[in-house]
Amino acid sequence: MLSRVADSIYWMARYVERAENLSRLLLSTQDLLLDAGAEGVDEAQFWQPLLATTGDEEAYFGLHKKIKGKDVTDFLALRADNPNSMLNSIRAARENARTVRDQISDEIWESLNSLRLFVESAEGKAMHRTQSAAFYERVLRGSYEFQGVADSTTPRGEIWYFLRVGTCLERADKVSRLLDTCSGLSLELPPSPKARPLRWAALLRSCSAWHAFQTKCSRQDPAKIIEYLLLDETFPRSIAYCVAEAEVALQALCAGAGIQGMPPLLRHVGRLRADLAYTTVEEVLAFGLHEYIDNLQTRLNQIGEAVFQTFVLHAELAMPAEEPVQEVVISVPGAYHAHVDEDAQIQQQQQQQ
Amino acid sequence: MSSLFNDYQPESFFDEVFSQTRKARTHYGAMLDSVGSLTPSEYSARQKAVDAAFLRQGVTFTVYGDDQGTERIFPFDLMPRIIPQREWETVEAGLIQRITALNLFLNDVYHGQKIINDKAVPAELVLSASHYRPEFRGIKVPHGIYIHICGTDLVRDGKGDYYVLEDNGRCPSGASYMLENRNAMKRAFPGLLQSLPVRPVDAYGSMLRETLAHLAPSSVLDPVIVVLTPGIYNSAYFEHCYLAKQMGVPIVEGRDLIIRNDRVFMRTTKGLEQVHVIYRRIDDDFLDPQVFRKDSLLGVPGIINAYRKGNVALANSIGTGVADDKAVYALVPKMIKYYLDQDPILPNVPTHLGVEPKECEYILDNLDKLVVKAVNESGGYGMLMGPHASKKELAEFGERIKKNPRNYIAQPVLQLSRHPVFVDDHFEGRHIDLRPYVLCGDRVRVVPGGLTRVALKKGSLVVNSSQGGGSKDTWVLWDDPLDKPAETSHAA
Repeated sequence: MLSRVADSIYWMARYVERAENLSRLLLSTQDLLLDAGAEGVDEAQFWQPLLATTGDEEAYFGLHKKIKGKDVTDFLALRADNPNSMLNSIRAARENARTVRDQISDEIWESLNSLRLFVESAEGKAMHRTQSAAFYERVLRGSYEFQGVADSTTPRGEIWYFLRVGTCLERADKVSRLLDTCSGLSLELPPSPKARPLRWAALLRSCSAWHAFQTKCSRQDPAKIIEYLLLDETFPRSIAYCVAEAEVALQALCAGAGIQGMPPLLRHVGRLRADLAYTTVEEVLAFGLHEYIDNLQTRLNQIGEAVFQTFVLHAELAMPAEEPVQEVVISVPGAYHAHVDEDAQIQQQQQQQ
Repeated sequence: MSSLFNDYQPESFFDEVFSQTRKARTHYGAMLDSVGSLTPSEYSARQKAVDAAFLRQGVTFTVYGDDQGTERIFPFDLMPRIIPQREWETVEAGLIQRITALNLFLNDVYHGQKIINDKAVPAELVLSASHYRPEFRGIKVPHGIYIHICGTDLVRDGKGDYYVLEDNGRCPSGASYMLENRNAMKRAFPGLLQSLPVRPVDAYGSMLRETLAHLAPSSVLDPVIVVLTPGIYNSAYFEHCYLAKQMGVPIVEGRDLIIRNDRVFMRTTKGLEQVHVIYRRIDDDFLDPQVFRKDSLLGVPGIINAYRKGNVALANSIGTGVADDKAVYALVPKMIKYYLDQDPILPNVPTHLGVEPKECEYILDNLDKLVVKAVNESGGYGMLMGPHASKKELAEFGERIKKNPRNYIAQPVLQLSRHPVFVDDHFEGRHIDLRPYVLCGDRVRVVPGGLTRVALKKGSLVVNSSQGGGSKDTWVLWDDPLDKPAETSHAA
């Protein structure tokens, strides 16, 4: 498979997952706000953590002075000038799909193309204005459809494994950011502001984990919730599960590419998987949840970087023939992201007969 | 019978479906029965279903002019154009004759230049063509074939005679729409397609692949073929991708390819893999920044050297543009005579060359009656429709021609044939042309039919997608239904 194709498939999966997580986060925050009751509640304390989670505080305050629910949801969902908005994530997923549509099934392509047509349509925008919950649910369904058709139409080869790696790493990253927003909350004291116990429940909902957690643990003890989302081995959105899945996919990719021994990529992912398997939540809390997650995110990024180094850039090193490498890299293949090279765009517009 | 056609007027044009006396032509009989049984709203519903499917599937092209380029569906009119087999046989023979002569001409121009030395065509006209690549003289190309994929534009005049309007021997596009249009028709009118002996077009992908495989060095048993695209912002990106998928070969961008020791490799997740044949949809100018445009970001530095050494084959070859220069076009009948000693089966449109002083004078004196075209433009750009132009436009174009007469040709305004097209709730006549696709490998093959393009604007003669054109499915029928009794009941 072309390196650029691998990169695009990986990013296509990441962007879909990103849009899905953002939808669920917006949805659960709205619900949380409804439960908290409108009287005397400071809206900002609900919306601020969202901006922190997506890492967009600076960009947001470049556009708005104060935190207002409507501004935040617009900014995160549909603003075209926010590169991390749901709209731009879906666009990026779809553009990456477009660059590889000869490789993926028509069903995958059509599901993403339809989702993008929806979020860009006047109908979609109106729905977001008047019934935002229905809008987020539509985006969630779009992502489920993508996952479903990807699962049922993709042969278990390279494409599948790159899809899995992208999905799992993005999911682990987003769950870790969500956990981090709760790291400042007290774990023991009876929460004084009205909303705090609800916030832990909202965290579970943001990860689609509410029901699964309820069946496993009878009490919504914050430490148990952290343990579940961070270390549970069976729940498909827990960080430990995602990293273990990513490792399986990466092992298959390395084996398929004929990579011998233990490359840095497999060392990074394997070590993280082992750490998550043998760490207890008590240790995490003693270390400090925020500090632990900070370190975790660094290591997830390291794995993402190693995927790129191993499968996208490595062509520079491996020659099928005997000749030594003489040339420098002229351009690096890569996926579609929100910012594109304008010169290349102009040149691509050369006429076709 | 058919209410949809009750008010239809062929007017003074050659209409593909109805004669001047408003009788339906026989080969349209069965289709008119079927379409005629629909009410306007039923017909309209089928049209909308097809449009929605095209949008969902991303069967689109990019319109330039705004920031990101807007993707549009290529407007598609459901009522197919039908060509009877006998008529098609002549067209097919004409196309084969023409591509054969063009390839002989290109091989000659890039080697001995016999046709020029024998003064059968004027040397200065050929050698001044801006797409002539003198640096490629003497370079051997596989099997001496230069144009492997040709999209020749045909039109019919007021009498229904076919003419060649131009040869597109560089990167002709549209084949994907031909294929998708047929798929759309299968969904919209399944019964009709089943009942008529319509020749299928879906072998195009495998024919294209065979044509390309033929170019690979004979020592390579299982050649690696790729489609080279400028990228997702190109207006024809959908097509590049579609054809790659039809052939089951990778689609690559310039940055996916790398040259080592004058051989071409693509970067894969498993390392470098050698490429043997490239169906390139990038113009010569952008192909190699080491040889052509230095600022090209789309090309592959060093690919031309690999090509010169015969390590990779390109389709189409470098320098084919000399054959579809619109001034050189005027010489094709002479080429057919010179190389094949035959008369052209499909005539050219009479063409006045700006480069000939007398003809230039004629062009300038008759600007308001002629179509003037810049010789190297395509897509309907750089064109003047004399009868529809303002005084100011005429004067400006006149100046341009005087400044650079070699760059312009002029032709009489042909009254292109018309075809009924569904507008709102009824049919109206619109001008059409036909672009069949000719493939040149171990033999020359023509896909039955091609892409019928429609000038959707009332009265317009310009069919290009970039200028408000649309398309129709084109049905070539196996049997000539002329033996059947004429069905006069289809009077409009």
